[in-house]
Amino acid sequence: MVDIEIEIDGNVVHGHSGESIISIADREGIDIPRFCYHKKLSVAANCRMCLVDVEGNPKPQPACSTPASAGMRVHTNNEKAKASQKAVMEFLLINHPLDCPICDQGGECELQDVAMEYGSDVSKFNEGKRIVADKGIGALIQTDMTRCIHCTRCVRFGAEVAGIVEMGATGRGEELKIEPFLSEGIQSELSGNMIDVCPVGALTSKPFRYEVRSWQMSSVQSVARHDLVGSNVFTQTHKGKVKRVVARDNESVNETWISDRDRFSYEGLANENRALTPKIKVKGEWQEVSWETALEAAISGIKKNSAEAFGALASKNATLEELYLLQKLTRELGSENLDTRLDVANPSSASALETTISLTGLEAVDHALIINSYLRLEQPMINHRIRKATLQGAKVSTVNAKAFDFNYRVASSVLSAPQNTVVTLSGVLKVLLESNSQALPDYLKGTKVNQAQIDIANALSAAENGVVVLGEQVSSNPCADQVAKLVEQIAKASNAKTLNASATGNTLSAEKVSFKPNGGLNAKQMFDADLNAFVLLDVYPAFDCVDSAAAIENLSRDDAFVVALNSFEDASVLSFADVILPLASFYETSGTHINIENVAQSYSASVKAAGDSKPGWKVLKVLADLLELPGFDYTDSSQVADDALSLSPSLAATEVDIIAMEVPNIATVWQYTPYASDVLTRHSQSLQQTQIGQVSEATVSEATAKILELSQGDCYKGVPVNINETVAEGCVFVHTNQARQR
Amino acid sequence: MISEQAKQQIDTWVAKYPAGYQSSAVMEALKIVQAENDGSLTSELIQAVADYLEMPVISAHEVATFYENYNHKPVGKHVIRFCHNISCMLNGADDLISYLETKTGVKTGEVSEDGLVSVKKVECLGACVGAPMFQIGDQYYENLTPQKIDEILDGLQ
Amino acid sequence: MNEVCFKNIDKENPSSLATYEATGGYSVWRKILHGELSPEAILGELKTSGLRGRGGAGFPTGLKWSFMPRNQDGQKYVVCNSDEGEPGTCKDRDILRFNPHSVIEGMAIAGYVMGATVGYNYIRGEFMEPYYRFEEALKEAYDAGLLGGDIGDSEVNFDLHTHLGAGAYICGEETALLESLEGKKGQPRFKPPFPANVGLYGMPTTINNTESFASVPDILARGGQWFADLGVPNSGGCKLFSVTGHVTKPANFEIPMGTPFSELLKMAGGLREGRTLKAVIPGGSSTPVLPADDAMKMTMDYDSIEQVGSMLGAGSVIVMDDTTCMVAALTRLAHFYYDESCGQCTPCREGTGWMYRVLKRIMDGQGKIQDLDLLMSVQDKIMGNTICALGDAAAMPVESFIRHFRHEFEYYIKHGKSMVENDG
Repeated sequence: MVDIEIEIDGNVVHGHSGESIISIADREGIDIPRFCYHKKLSVAANCRMCLVDVEGNPKPQPACSTPASAGMRVHTNNEKAKASQKAVMEFLLINHPLDCPICDQGGECELQDVAMEYGSDVSKFNEGKRIVADKGIGALIQTDMTRCIHCTRCVRFGAEVAGIVEMGATGRGEELKIEPFLSEGIQSELSGNMIDVCPVGALTSKPFRYEVRSWQMSSVQSVARHDLVGSNVFTQTHKGKVKRVVARDNESVNETWISDRDRFSYEGLANENRALTPKIKVKGEWQEVSWETALEAAISGIKKNSAEAFGALASKNATLEELYLLQKLTRELGSENLDTRLDVANPSSASALETTISLTGLEAVDHALIINSYLRLEQPMINHRIRKATLQGAKVSTVNAKAFDFNYRVASSVLSAPQNTVVTLSGVLKVLLESNSQALPDYLKGTKVNQAQIDIANALSAAENGVVVLGEQVSSNPCADQVAKLVEQIAKASNAKTLNASATGNTLSAEKVSFKPNGGLNAKQMFDADLNAFVLLDVYPAFDCVDSAAAIENLSRDDAFVVALNSFEDASVLSFADVILPLASFYETSGTHINIENVAQSYSASVKAAGDSKPGWKVLKVLADLLELPGFDYTDSSQVADDALSLSPSLAATEVDIIAMEVPNIATVWQYTPYASDVLTRHSQSLQQTQIGQVSEATVSEATAKILELSQGDCYKGVPVNINETVAEGCVFVHTNQARQR
Repeated sequence: MISEQAKQQIDTWVAKYPAGYQSSAVMEALKIVQAENDGSLTSELIQAVADYLEMPVISAHEVATFYENYNHKPVGKHVIRFCHNISCMLNGADDLISYLETKTGVKTGEVSEDGLVSVKKVECLGACVGAPMFQIGDQYYENLTPQKIDEILDGLQ
Repeated sequence: MNEVCFKNIDKENPSSLATYEATGGYSVWRKILHGELSPEAILGELKTSGLRGRGGAGFPTGLKWSFMPRNQDGQKYVVCNSDEGEPGTCKDRDILRFNPHSVIEGMAIAGYVMGATVGYNYIRGEFMEPYYRFEEALKEAYDAGLLGGDIGDSEVNFDLHTHLGAGAYICGEETALLESLEGKKGQPRFKPPFPANVGLYGMPTTINNTESFASVPDILARGGQWFADLGVPNSGGCKLFSVTGHVTKPANFEIPMGTPFSELLKMAGGLREGRTLKAVIPGGSSTPVLPADDAMKMTMDYDSIEQVGSMLGAGSVIVMDDTTCMVAALTRLAHFYYDESCGQCTPCREGTGWMYRVLKRIMDGQGKIQDLDLLMSVQDKIMGNTICALGDAAAMPVESFIRHFRHEFEYYIKHGKSMVENDG
């Protein structure tokens, strides 16, 4: 690539040889109208809107597909260019319904905007306009294909970014139709981006349909906190309500995309099950009370009990500020019983596996080993970066309990039940160490190695930029510590980077403020003990706890006093709690999210908290004040964040030994659909109606089913059984939107 | 869904293209499958072809709806594809199409009651020196006259 | 007449290998296999011959071949465009039926020159008889050891396959054809990159028309100069012309470039008794129509036809006598482009339907006088603004028919019926 000079509209500008004219013009702020061109998609050159006059060419040239060459002289708005642009505009409008007054795209429509400048005020078209029948593509995207201008951005998005070719351009000529094959709905977890890329009102947000005109909304910069990326978004609000969430460009975080979870979860904010009023339980009956009364009840209950008998449990999706204040409150009270790892079978005292690769770094890997993860659904934007690497030739191998549907080819996959994962990974490590002529630690000496392990090890050691990704399914594994340790060793032996995606949401904020016991009880231990006072921060044990029944039973003891800060009302919480303090939800509080690159992203509240609910940091600060704990004189959440971010985690990590542990013969891997992964998504109706959201299936192999005496259609822990051979022997893989059952 | 015989036929086409480019055979595969299913395609058949060639079904659907040789509604046992483009038109194709319609009682785009024939108006078939002409199956019939059409129709069974 | 592509047309079994070889067929290919002919020499002869692409665009074949990065490593392809579908054109069908070996030899030579070891002949899906004939010929050539790997220990490799279309005029556009060969919709690609750099399966590819390939063996056997001398300057050689429409003996004629149109008309038996010439489309439906006077002035070569305001195109001469309703004829052509537009790019997708509907309305007696200016404006807005040439091809008939025969359109609009009493 050479730096070249070209002339656009008389201005000398610089670009790279072969770079498109439009890309140079965009960088230079020279406006060229376009519909099909999108900086993140391949060039189609089909809309013809960006035709410009390139000197020496008899015909106008599309700025999107014409490579610049040194000395080229381009005119974007001379008579010839304008004539072509106006011609194209006229053609685009003849069959476009002028239904802008009822179109949700109105006011933010690229066609409307460009028509203002290039359109004619009178149409010469007097023939009947085209009407296109809609197939419908599911719960998230509203289709009005009569408005479609066939730019194929959505088609290219599907093929190139989502990696699932679902939309196509069928038919030909005037009958060309953008549609999926069947109307079952789009499967991609990134589908909502098609709404963003659609330049017209053909694809709009279904939950947003007819809610409010786009120009009546205010846009607030915010950060989504459902996963480890913290995608940048705009919340668009009207009259104090979030009406829509759209992507906000941040090249190093989410580029220009967001997951459907980040886009549509806001719908839950308006759900009727929001906790809106403080409540206390009096003689077994709930009473709505003032904040003062509720807070008094809370502190008197806490004060009655000793510090050792106090425990704090928090959601992984809580803000940094909330986590910081709750751990401070707990520690100031004198307790070390605190944890966010409610879903972890065996919470560890070891330090967590470190992430040593950046998001953009993922795009440059040549091999990725994915362990215990359905990464596409768990961490859509991380998976997207790996998919980009695969487009450049990277290979992917997996060690999972089930064969998952990735949006790239998996070169080799090993099915491994949780109880066998330590053995599987030990084999891989052994091959690596032997090929490096390194001494084997004792625990590997007896390890037997099979071909699959050799293949994985060879692929990793052949890679120049390898990465090993550990996903959230490891939390079901009692030997999670050992798995993490082996991942670390494997990465070390193969010179690969690591990515720890074993816990999601704002987990890294919890790490940052050491929201786990230093000598006290972890989540599992707390439910095994008989603590007398709990503060729960947006915790819903029925869903969140690995042994939900045990947790609920423990919290329901007569001598357990429970203060629940909840954004949603929940039957089981109502059954055991003593005080409910209504909590502001996502976008209703200011806060900070720490992402996988350890970047802290702070955001302000987009809207006022619903009902009488209040931001968690304020509630916790007042609770601490009322408990007369020192050091809580904050007036602004940013002061809290400053204090939190100045901490450096100082927990002493214990060594992990790879030892044979007692493991069950048959294990369960429990994974929620991405739309049941936290309380807000669970209350977003549209997400629940998607194909991804409706999955509830306990997959088991025929042999394992026989041992468990399960038949097709039976229920396993409340989830319908599906017998097939996509799953490892010796385990049941539960993928569901249902709360955990024993 | 696809017979073994059809699969073998498809495989001979797949063999013509480089490894990994088996979807080059989709056009023929759709024709082969269409031929063994009374001359028209269904969503299930398109899905089966896409699966067989390991390609996204929407891409097979795009092909099936782009090219004119595929039918998505039932057709007659014999499809009379009548050219009505310029050279044929100049030589009386329109009158002959009307004649054919009257004779068979089948309008263009329709199928005869006994399912024997359907008539389709098509664009240039590249036999302009033999205008007017039509195609039935693999066969071209050129320099058509009403008498010639009668004879051809009589020969159909 | 009939000296190159059609030289065996009157012989018994014209398509057989024996007939082909009896008149010198495969002599050039054998020379190559014996190492007696270099790629450079072949390119030189081709350039001298003045052969221009016979599919319609008329791009010099030798120059096109020289664009191929022939010394570049990796797979390269030779593709033959036998997707004949331009209304009025039916010459390639006869080459495939009656002289298939010339296409095979021409493609093999091209493969050798450009370092391409695999070729595909894309034959339109309806051409089943030509397809079977071509397949027979291919089998004969393989059986005779003329194709395959390391042919006759020559270290020359060339494999040739046929691919069948499925009914889409647009696949005659070379990049749409490549898409179609890849098993996709036939939507033209934007250029650059050109097929010579990024072609079939992303590899360097040369695509030529059937007649172009079929002409190559004789050019090399008898010399580029011999071929050039058959024609006139800038239009070397002889060419096939399909003469159709209102003539008494419509047929394909292989005649020297530069032959006067009047002679060609005579060869085709002239007009029917009592009729006078009204108009001629000289190069296939995509080329501008010429009124009789202009047509009678032309000779059948690139420059002359351009001088009178049209193009030689694929050599598809559509003759219209005084019984022709020009409104109906144009409506028919407009429907064709409307039907065959791939739909990919805006001006063609939207514009072809618009023009057809306005013309249909005129035909239905609902025309307005402003419609003619509207049609002229719509065609002008399509022209030059599309990815491929189909846009221009749809625009040019509209422009030329209205320009030359505006009075007929005006009459039709005014009276709601044709000026021509068409009695067939």
